[in-house]
Amino acid sequence: MSRQLKFNIFRYNPQDPDSVPHTDTFLLEETPSLTLFIALNKIREEQDPSLQFDFACRMAICGSCGMVINGRPGLACKTLTEELPEEITLMPLPVFELVGDLSVDTGSWFRTTNTKIESWIHTDKEFDPNAIEERMENDLANAIFELERCIECGCCVAACGTANMRDDFIGAFALNRIARFMLDPRDERSENDYFDVVGTDQGVFGCMGLLACEDVCPREIPLQDQLGILRRKMGFIGLKNIFKPKAKAVG
Amino acid sequence: MSGIDTAIFVKQPSRTAAYLDWLQMLTGAGLIIFMWCHMILVASVNISPNVMNTIAHFFEATYMAQVGGPLIGLTLLAHFILAARKIPYTSAEQGAIWRHAKMLRHTDTWLWVIQAITAMVILVMGSIHIWTVLTDLPITAAKSAARIQGGFWLVFYLILLPCVELHVGIGFYRIMVKWGIVKRSGRKGFHRFENIWTGVFILIGLITIIRFATLAIS
Repeated sequence: MSRQLKFNIFRYNPQDPDSVPHTDTFLLEETPSLTLFIALNKIREEQDPSLQFDFACRMAICGSCGMVINGRPGLACKTLTEELPEEITLMPLPVFELVGDLSVDTGSWFRTTNTKIESWIHTDKEFDPNAIEERMENDLANAIFELERCIECGCCVAACGTANMRDDFIGAFALNRIARFMLDPRDERSENDYFDVVGTDQGVFGCMGLLACEDVCPREIPLQDQLGILRRKMGFIGLKNIFKPKAKAVG
Repeated sequence: MSGIDTAIFVKQPSRTAAYLDWLQMLTGAGLIIFMWCHMILVASVNISPNVMNTIAHFFEATYMAQVGGPLIGLTLLAHFILAARKIPYTSAEQGAIWRHAKMLRHTDTWLWVIQAITAMVILVMGSIHIWTVLTDLPITAAKSAARIQGGFWLVFYLILLPCVELHVGIGFYRIMVKWGIVKRSGRKGFHRFENIWTGVFILIGLITIIRFATLAIS
Protein backbone atom coordinates (compact mmCIF):
# COMPACT_ATOMS: atom_id res chain seq x y z
CA MET A 1 0.00 0.00 0.00
CA SER A 2 1.34 3.40 -0.92
CA ARG A 3 2.05 5.93 1.79
CA GLN A 4 0.21 9.16 2.32
CA LEU A 5 2.92 11.81 2.45
CA LYS A 6 2.58 14.96 4.49
CA PHE A 7 4.53 17.95 3.23
CA ASN A 8 5.20 20.94 5.46
CA ILE A 9 6.36 23.65 3.10
CA PHE A 10 7.71 27.07 4.00
CA ARG A 11 5.64 29.87 2.52
CA TYR A 12 6.57 33.53 2.34
CA ASN A 13 6.59 36.12 -0.38
CA PRO A 14 8.93 39.00 0.49
CA GLN A 15 7.43 41.06 -2.36
CA ASP A 16 4.00 41.01 -0.75
CA PRO A 17 3.71 43.27 2.33
CA ASP A 18 0.78 41.19 3.61
CA SER A 19 2.69 37.92 3.41
CA VAL A 20 3.74 36.37 6.72
CA PRO A 21 6.31 33.53 6.93
CA HIS A 22 4.51 30.29 7.78
CA THR A 23 4.33 26.65 6.69
CA ASP A 24 1.53 25.12 4.64
CA THR A 25 0.68 21.44 4.80
CA PHE A 26 -0.06 19.38 1.70
CA LEU A 27 -1.01 15.73 1.46
CA LEU A 28 0.09 13.58 -1.45
CA GLU A 29 -0.11 9.90 -2.20
CA GLU A 30 3.28 8.34 -2.79
CA THR A 31 3.87 6.80 -6.20
CA PRO A 32 6.80 4.56 -7.21
CA SER A 33 10.13 6.39 -7.76
CA LEU A 34 8.60 9.67 -6.62
CA THR A 35 11.17 12.45 -6.31
CA LEU A 36 10.61 15.68 -4.41
CA PHE A 37 10.82 17.46 -7.74
CA ILE A 38 7.85 15.49 -9.11
CA ALA A 39 5.99 15.79 -5.81
CA LEU A 40 6.37 19.59 -5.77
CA ASN A 41 5.15 19.86 -9.35
CA LYS A 42 2.14 17.70 -8.51
CA ILE A 43 1.33 19.86 -5.51
CA ARG A 44 1.64 23.00 -7.63
CA GLU A 45 -0.52 21.58 -10.43
CA GLU A 46 -3.18 19.96 -8.29
CA GLN A 47 -3.29 21.86 -5.01
CA ASP A 48 -1.67 25.30 -5.00
CA PRO A 49 -0.53 27.05 -8.19
CA SER A 50 1.07 29.88 -6.17
CA LEU A 51 3.79 27.61 -4.73
CA GLN A 52 7.23 28.91 -5.72
CA PHE A 53 10.26 26.68 -6.25
CA ASP A 54 13.03 26.43 -8.83
CA PHE A 55 13.96 23.64 -11.18
CA ALA A 56 15.23 23.24 -14.71
CA CYS A 57 16.96 19.98 -15.54
CA ARG A 58 15.42 17.45 -13.07
CA MET A 59 18.65 15.40 -13.24
CA ALA A 60 21.08 17.02 -10.75
CA ILE A 61 22.93 19.03 -13.38
CA CYS A 62 21.50 22.55 -13.18
CA GLY A 63 21.67 23.07 -9.42
CA SER A 64 18.40 25.02 -9.25
CA CYS A 65 16.34 22.88 -6.91
CA GLY A 66 18.53 23.04 -3.79
CA MET A 67 16.39 23.25 -0.64
CA VAL A 68 16.43 22.17 2.99
CA ILE A 69 14.85 18.72 3.16
CA ASN A 70 14.02 17.65 6.71
CA GLY A 71 16.82 19.87 7.96
CA ARG A 72 19.44 18.92 5.37
CA PRO A 73 20.28 20.90 2.24
CA GLY A 74 19.88 18.74 -0.87
CA LEU A 75 18.51 18.64 -4.40
CA ALA A 76 14.77 18.06 -4.77
CA CYS A 77 15.26 16.25 -8.08
CA LYS A 78 17.80 13.83 -6.62
CA THR A 79 15.83 12.99 -3.49
CA LEU A 80 13.42 10.08 -3.59
CA THR A 81 10.52 10.28 -1.16
CA GLU A 82 11.03 6.60 -0.30
CA GLU A 83 14.28 7.64 1.41
CA LEU A 84 12.30 9.99 3.66
CA PRO A 85 9.75 9.51 6.45
CA GLU A 86 6.06 10.16 5.79
CA GLU A 87 6.31 13.71 7.05
CA ILE A 88 8.58 15.87 4.90
CA THR A 89 9.49 19.43 5.80
CA LEU A 90 10.83 21.64 3.03
CA MET A 91 12.53 24.98 3.69
CA PRO A 92 14.44 27.34 1.41
CA LEU A 93 18.25 27.33 1.57
CA PRO A 94 19.52 29.75 4.22
CA VAL A 95 22.34 32.28 3.55
CA PHE A 96 20.91 33.11 0.09
CA GLU A 97 18.33 35.80 -0.52
CA LEU A 98 14.78 34.51 -0.52
CA VAL A 99 12.82 35.00 -3.73
CA GLY A 100 9.68 33.36 -2.35
CA ASP A 101 8.64 30.09 -0.70
CA LEU A 102 11.36 27.54 -1.63
CA SER A 103 12.99 29.69 -4.28
CA VAL A 104 16.23 31.50 -3.40
CA ASP A 105 18.59 33.66 -5.42
CA THR A 106 21.78 31.62 -5.53
CA GLY A 107 22.88 33.35 -8.74
CA SER A 108 23.77 36.70 -7.19
CA TRP A 109 25.73 35.02 -4.40
CA PHE A 110 27.73 32.87 -6.80
CA ARG A 111 28.31 35.78 -9.16
CA THR A 112 29.67 37.93 -6.33
CA THR A 113 31.82 35.13 -4.91
CA ASN A 114 33.18 34.09 -8.31
CA THR A 115 34.17 37.70 -8.94
CA LYS A 116 35.78 37.93 -5.51
CA ILE A 117 37.98 34.87 -6.07
CA GLU A 118 38.55 35.72 -9.75
CA SER A 119 37.15 32.42 -10.85
CA TRP A 120 38.57 32.26 -14.34
CA ILE A 121 41.82 31.23 -16.06
CA HIS A 122 44.37 34.04 -15.75
CA THR A 123 46.71 34.01 -18.71
CA ASP A 124 48.71 36.47 -20.78
CA LYS A 125 48.59 34.19 -23.80
CA GLU A 126 46.67 35.60 -26.69
CA PHE A 127 43.81 33.33 -27.69
CA ASP A 128 44.14 31.91 -31.17
CA PRO A 129 40.82 30.47 -32.33
CA ASN A 130 42.51 28.61 -35.18
CA ALA A 131 45.15 26.87 -33.09
CA ILE A 132 44.76 23.24 -32.04
CA GLU A 133 43.68 22.92 -28.44
CA GLU A 134 46.55 22.49 -26.00
CA ARG A 135 47.07 18.95 -24.81
CA MET A 136 46.85 17.85 -21.22
CA GLU A 137 47.70 14.58 -19.44
CA ASN A 138 44.61 12.48 -18.94
CA ASP A 139 45.16 12.11 -15.18
CA LEU A 140 45.42 15.86 -14.78
CA ALA A 141 42.33 16.46 -16.89
CA ASN A 142 40.44 13.96 -14.74
CA ALA A 143 41.66 15.58 -11.52
CA ILE A 144 40.48 18.99 -12.74
CA PHE A 145 37.18 17.55 -13.91
CA GLU A 146 36.59 15.94 -10.53
CA LEU A 147 36.47 19.44 -8.97
CA GLU A 148 34.83 21.03 -12.00
CA ARG A 149 31.72 18.88 -11.44
CA CYS A 150 30.30 21.49 -9.01
CA ILE A 151 26.87 22.68 -10.16
CA GLU A 152 26.67 25.73 -7.86
CA CYS A 153 23.52 24.48 -6.15
CA GLY A 154 24.47 26.21 -2.89
CA CYS A 155 23.95 23.19 -0.60
CA CYS A 156 27.51 23.38 0.81
CA VAL A 157 27.08 27.06 1.62
CA ALA A 158 23.66 26.56 3.22
CA ALA A 159 25.05 23.70 5.34
CA CYS A 160 28.09 25.69 6.47
CA GLY A 161 28.09 26.92 10.06
CA THR A 162 30.59 29.65 9.28
CA ALA A 163 28.65 30.92 6.23
CA ASN A 164 25.49 31.01 8.35
CA MET A 165 27.27 33.15 10.96
CA ARG A 166 29.40 35.37 8.74
CA ASP A 167 28.27 36.95 5.49
CA ASP A 168 31.76 37.38 4.08
CA PHE A 169 32.87 33.72 4.26
CA ILE A 170 33.39 32.40 0.73
CA GLY A 171 32.47 28.80 1.54
CA ALA A 172 33.51 25.35 0.34
CA PHE A 173 32.31 26.11 -3.18
CA ALA A 174 34.84 28.90 -3.69
CA LEU A 175 37.68 27.03 -2.00
CA ASN A 176 37.06 24.02 -4.24
CA ARG A 177 36.95 26.38 -7.21
CA ILE A 178 40.37 27.83 -6.35
CA ALA A 179 41.73 24.30 -5.81
CA ARG A 180 40.57 23.55 -9.35
CA PHE A 181 42.46 26.53 -10.83
CA MET A 182 45.57 25.68 -8.83
CA LEU A 183 45.63 22.31 -10.60
CA ASP A 184 45.22 23.89 -14.03
CA PRO A 185 48.55 24.60 -15.78
CA ARG A 186 46.81 27.13 -18.07
CA ASP A 187 46.18 29.44 -15.13
CA GLU A 188 49.34 31.51 -14.71
CA ARG A 189 48.55 32.82 -11.26
CA SER A 190 51.40 32.43 -8.75
CA GLU A 191 50.91 30.77 -5.39
CA ASN A 192 51.02 34.23 -3.80
CA ASP A 193 48.18 35.35 -6.05
CA TYR A 194 46.10 32.43 -4.82
CA PHE A 195 47.10 33.17 -1.25
CA ASP A 196 45.86 36.74 -1.56
CA VAL A 197 42.48 35.42 -2.67
CA VAL A 198 41.88 32.59 -0.18
CA GLY A 199 44.62 32.86 2.49
CA THR A 200 42.37 34.91 4.74
CA ASP A 201 39.85 34.50 7.53
CA GLN A 202 37.14 34.95 4.90
CA GLY A 203 38.82 32.18 2.91
CA VAL A 204 40.34 28.86 3.91
CA PHE A 205 41.40 29.99 7.39
CA GLY A 206 37.82 30.92 8.19
CA CYS A 207 36.77 27.31 7.68
CA MET A 208 36.13 25.68 11.06
CA GLY A 209 36.14 22.14 9.73
CA LEU A 210 32.54 21.22 10.56
CA LEU A 211 32.43 19.30 7.26
CA ALA A 212 28.69 19.65 6.69
CA CYS A 213 29.62 20.75 3.15
CA GLU A 214 31.30 17.39 2.60
CA ASP A 215 28.29 15.55 3.99
CA VAL A 216 25.57 17.30 1.97
CA CYS A 217 27.24 17.87 -1.43
CA PRO A 218 24.84 16.23 -3.93
CA ARG A 219 27.74 15.77 -6.35
CA GLU A 220 29.93 14.18 -3.69
CA ILE A 221 32.83 16.42 -4.57
CA PRO A 222 35.73 15.57 -2.21
CA LEU A 223 35.41 18.84 -0.27
CA GLN A 224 36.99 17.54 2.94
CA ASP A 225 40.14 16.52 1.08
CA GLN A 226 40.28 19.71 -0.99
CA LEU A 227 39.80 21.96 2.05
CA GLY A 228 42.53 20.06 3.89
CA ILE A 229 44.97 20.26 1.00
CA LEU A 230 44.22 23.95 0.49
CA ARG A 231 44.67 24.78 4.19
CA ARG A 232 48.05 23.06 4.21
CA LYS A 233 49.17 24.68 0.96
CA MET A 234 48.06 28.16 2.04
CA GLY A 235 49.53 27.60 5.50
CA PHE A 236 52.94 26.80 4.03
CA ILE A 237 52.80 29.65 1.52
CA GLY A 238 52.08 31.94 4.48
CA LEU A 239 55.08 30.57 6.39
CA LYS A 240 57.42 30.85 3.41
CA ASN A 241 57.38 34.59 3.59
CA ILE A 242 57.64 34.85 7.34
CA PHE A 243 61.06 36.53 7.26
CA LYS A 244 60.38 38.62 4.20
CA PRO A 245 59.84 42.30 4.95
CA LYS A 246 56.35 43.45 4.12
CA ALA A 247 56.07 45.43 0.91
CA LYS A 248 55.05 48.93 1.79
CA ALA A 249 53.62 51.59 -0.42
CA VAL A 250 56.02 54.48 -0.91
CA GLY A 251 54.67 57.48 0.98
CA MET B 1 54.32 63.18 4.86
CA SER B 2 55.89 59.79 5.20
CA GLY B 3 54.96 57.07 7.64
CA ILE B 4 51.27 57.01 6.86
CA ASP B 5 49.92 53.46 6.99
CA THR B 6 48.31 53.22 3.59
CA ALA B 7 46.71 49.91 4.58
CA ILE B 8 43.94 51.97 6.15
CA PHE B 9 42.92 53.18 2.72
CA VAL B 10 44.11 50.38 0.46
CA LYS B 11 43.94 46.84 1.81
CA GLN B 12 47.39 45.25 1.81
CA PRO B 13 47.86 41.52 1.41
CA SER B 14 48.47 40.05 4.83
CA ARG B 15 49.86 36.76 6.16
CA THR B 16 48.31 37.21 9.59
CA ALA B 17 45.42 34.79 9.05
CA ALA B 18 47.85 32.01 8.13
CA TYR B 19 50.09 32.60 11.16
CA LEU B 20 47.13 32.73 13.52
CA ASP B 21 45.68 29.52 12.09
CA TRP B 22 49.02 27.74 12.53
CA LEU B 23 49.30 29.01 16.09
CA GLN B 24 45.74 27.99 16.92
CA MET B 25 46.45 24.48 15.67
CA LEU B 26 49.91 24.20 17.27
CA THR B 27 48.82 25.48 20.70
CA GLY B 28 45.86 23.08 20.49
CA ALA B 29 48.05 20.14 19.49
CA GLY B 30 50.52 21.02 22.28
CA LEU B 31 47.75 21.08 24.86
CA ILE B 32 46.38 17.75 23.58
CA ILE B 33 49.81 16.13 24.07
CA PHE B 34 50.08 17.77 27.47
CA MET B 35 46.66 16.41 28.51
CA TRP B 36 47.68 12.89 27.53
CA CYS B 37 50.87 13.21 29.62
CA HIS B 38 48.80 14.74 32.43
CA MET B 39 46.57 11.67 32.35
CA ILE B 40 49.60 9.40 32.65
CA LEU B 41 50.76 11.28 35.75
CA VAL B 42 47.41 11.46 37.50
CA ALA B 43 46.20 7.97 36.56
CA SER B 44 49.46 6.48 37.84
CA VAL B 45 47.89 6.75 41.30
CA ASN B 46 45.79 3.76 40.30
CA ILE B 47 48.96 1.70 40.14
CA SER B 48 50.16 3.07 43.45
CA PRO B 49 50.45 6.49 45.13
CA ASN B 50 54.21 5.96 45.21
CA VAL B 51 54.39 5.76 41.42
CA MET B 52 52.49 9.05 41.16
CA ASN B 53 54.74 10.65 43.77
CA THR B 54 57.83 9.49 41.90
CA ILE B 55 56.62 10.92 38.58
CA ALA B 56 55.55 14.16 40.29
CA HIS B 57 58.94 14.37 41.96
CA PHE B 58 60.62 13.98 38.59
CA PHE B 59 58.70 17.02 37.26
CA GLU B 60 59.63 18.92 40.39
CA ALA B 61 63.33 18.03 40.33
CA THR B 62 63.68 18.91 36.66
CA TYR B 63 61.76 22.19 37.23
CA MET B 64 59.24 21.10 34.63
CA ALA B 65 56.41 21.80 37.06
CA GLN B 66 57.70 25.21 38.15
CA VAL B 67 58.53 26.44 34.64
CA GLY B 68 56.38 24.19 32.43
CA GLY B 69 53.29 24.65 34.59
CA PRO B 70 52.96 28.42 34.07
CA LEU B 71 53.88 27.91 30.40
CA ILE B 72 50.97 25.50 30.03
CA GLY B 73 48.76 28.14 31.65
CA LEU B 74 49.98 30.71 29.12
CA THR B 75 49.47 28.27 26.25
CA LEU B 76 45.91 27.67 27.43
CA LEU B 77 45.29 31.42 27.43
CA ALA B 78 46.93 31.86 24.01
CA HIS B 79 44.91 28.98 22.59
CA PHE B 80 41.74 30.54 23.96
CA ILE B 81 42.48 33.93 22.39
CA LEU B 82 43.39 32.33 19.03
CA ALA B 83 40.42 29.99 18.89
CA ALA B 84 38.02 32.64 20.19
CA ARG B 85 38.37 34.33 16.80
CA LYS B 86 36.03 31.63 15.53
CA ILE B 87 33.60 31.63 18.44
CA PRO B 88 30.47 33.72 17.89
CA TYR B 89 30.29 36.64 20.30
CA THR B 90 27.36 38.67 19.04
CA SER B 91 23.91 37.36 19.91
CA ALA B 92 23.04 37.42 16.21
CA GLU B 93 25.91 35.03 15.40
CA GLN B 94 25.18 32.84 18.40
CA GLY B 95 21.53 32.61 17.37
CA ALA B 96 22.55 31.81 13.79
CA ILE B 97 24.83 28.89 14.71
CA TRP B 98 22.34 27.54 17.27
CA ARG B 99 19.41 27.55 14.85
CA HIS B 100 21.70 26.14 12.18
CA ALA B 101 22.87 23.25 14.37
CA LYS B 102 19.28 22.45 15.39
CA MET B 103 18.14 22.48 11.77
CA LEU B 104 21.00 20.43 10.34
CA ARG B 105 21.18 17.66 13.00
CA HIS B 106 24.73 17.03 11.87
CA THR B 107 27.14 15.34 14.29
CA ASP B 108 30.26 17.34 13.44
CA THR B 109 28.37 20.62 13.71
CA TRP B 110 27.05 19.67 17.16
CA LEU B 111 30.53 18.56 18.18
CA TRP B 112 31.75 22.05 17.34
CA VAL B 113 29.05 23.59 19.55
CA ILE B 114 30.18 21.26 22.37
CA GLN B 115 33.78 22.28 21.70
CA ALA B 116 32.89 25.98 21.99
CA ILE B 117 30.88 25.52 25.20
CA THR B 118 33.43 23.27 26.92
CA ALA B 119 36.10 25.82 25.93
CA MET B 120 34.48 28.40 28.22
CA VAL B 121 34.22 25.90 31.09
CA ILE B 122 37.87 24.90 30.66
CA LEU B 123 39.03 28.52 30.46
CA VAL B 124 37.58 29.26 33.89
CA MET B 125 37.86 25.92 35.71
CA GLY B 126 41.17 24.96 34.08
CA SER B 127 42.70 28.25 35.18
CA ILE B 128 41.45 27.73 38.74
CA HIS B 129 42.86 24.19 38.72
CA ILE B 130 46.26 25.31 37.40
CA TRP B 131 46.46 28.11 39.96
CA THR B 132 45.50 25.81 42.83
CA VAL B 133 48.02 23.13 41.91
CA LEU B 134 50.94 25.41 41.06
CA THR B 135 50.60 27.55 44.20
CA ASP B 136 50.75 24.41 46.31
CA LEU B 137 53.72 22.50 44.92
CA PRO B 138 54.96 19.77 45.15
CA ILE B 139 52.24 17.60 43.69
CA THR B 140 51.67 14.52 45.84
CA ALA B 141 49.03 11.81 45.81
CA ALA B 142 48.14 12.62 49.41
CA LYS B 143 47.51 16.30 48.68
CA SER B 144 45.42 15.51 45.62
CA ALA B 145 43.41 12.97 47.59
CA ALA B 146 42.85 15.45 50.45
CA ARG B 147 41.56 18.01 47.97
CA ILE B 148 39.09 15.59 46.41
CA GLN B 149 37.94 14.30 49.76
CA GLY B 150 37.01 17.84 50.77
CA GLY B 151 33.90 17.44 48.60
CA PHE B 152 34.00 20.74 46.69
CA TRP B 153 36.85 19.65 44.46
CA LEU B 154 35.18 16.31 43.81
CA VAL B 155 32.26 18.10 42.14
CA PHE B 156 34.68 20.51 40.48
CA TYR B 157 36.64 17.71 38.80
CA LEU B 158 33.52 15.72 37.91
CA ILE B 159 32.56 18.72 35.76
CA LEU B 160 36.02 19.61 34.48
CA LEU B 161 37.07 16.06 33.52
CA PRO B 162 34.41 15.33 30.87
CA CYS B 163 34.68 18.90 29.53
CA VAL B 164 38.43 18.57 29.02
CA GLU B 165 38.27 15.09 27.53
CA LEU B 166 35.48 16.06 25.12
CA HIS B 167 37.31 19.22 24.08
CA VAL B 168 40.60 17.38 23.61
CA GLY B 169 38.97 14.50 21.73
CA ILE B 170 36.92 16.69 19.41
CA GLY B 171 39.88 19.03 18.94
CA PHE B 172 42.15 16.17 17.94
CA TYR B 173 39.59 14.90 15.42
CA ARG B 174 39.05 18.44 14.09
CA ILE B 175 42.77 19.12 13.57
CA MET B 176 43.20 15.85 11.70
CA VAL B 177 40.32 16.46 9.27
CA LYS B 178 40.83 20.23 8.95
CA TRP B 179 44.47 19.93 7.95
CA GLY B 180 43.79 17.03 5.62
CA ILE B 181 45.75 14.43 7.58
CA VAL B 182 42.68 12.21 7.83
CA LYS B 183 41.14 11.95 4.37
CA ARG B 184 37.56 11.28 3.30
CA SER B 185 38.18 7.53 3.25
CA GLY B 186 39.53 7.51 6.80
CA ARG B 187 37.11 9.93 8.42
CA LYS B 188 34.45 7.50 9.63
CA GLY B 189 36.98 5.13 11.14
CA PHE B 190 38.93 7.93 12.78
CA HIS B 191 35.70 9.37 14.19
CA ARG B 192 34.90 6.04 15.82
CA PHE B 193 38.45 5.67 17.12
CA GLU B 194 38.26 9.15 18.60
CA ASN B 195 34.91 8.41 20.33
CA ILE B 196 36.32 5.28 21.93
CA TRP B 197 39.54 7.06 22.85
CA THR B 198 37.59 9.88 24.54
CA GLY B 199 35.34 7.40 26.33
CA VAL B 200 38.32 5.44 27.64
CA PHE B 201 39.98 8.63 28.90
CA ILE B 202 36.82 9.77 30.70
CA LEU B 203 36.60 6.29 32.26
CA ILE B 204 40.23 6.32 33.40
CA GLY B 205 39.65 9.84 34.76
CA LEU B 206 36.59 8.72 36.73
CA ILE B 207 38.43 5.69 38.14
CA THR B 208 41.24 8.04 39.16
CA ILE B 209 38.84 10.43 40.89
CA ILE B 210 37.29 7.49 42.77
CA ARG B 211 40.79 6.30 43.72
CA PHE B 212 41.63 9.74 45.13
CA ALA B 213 38.29 9.91 46.94
CA THR B 214 38.95 6.58 48.65
CA LEU B 215 42.71 6.89 49.20
CA ALA B 216 43.66 6.64 52.85
CA ILE B 217 45.63 9.75 53.71
CA SER B 218 48.33 8.97 56.20
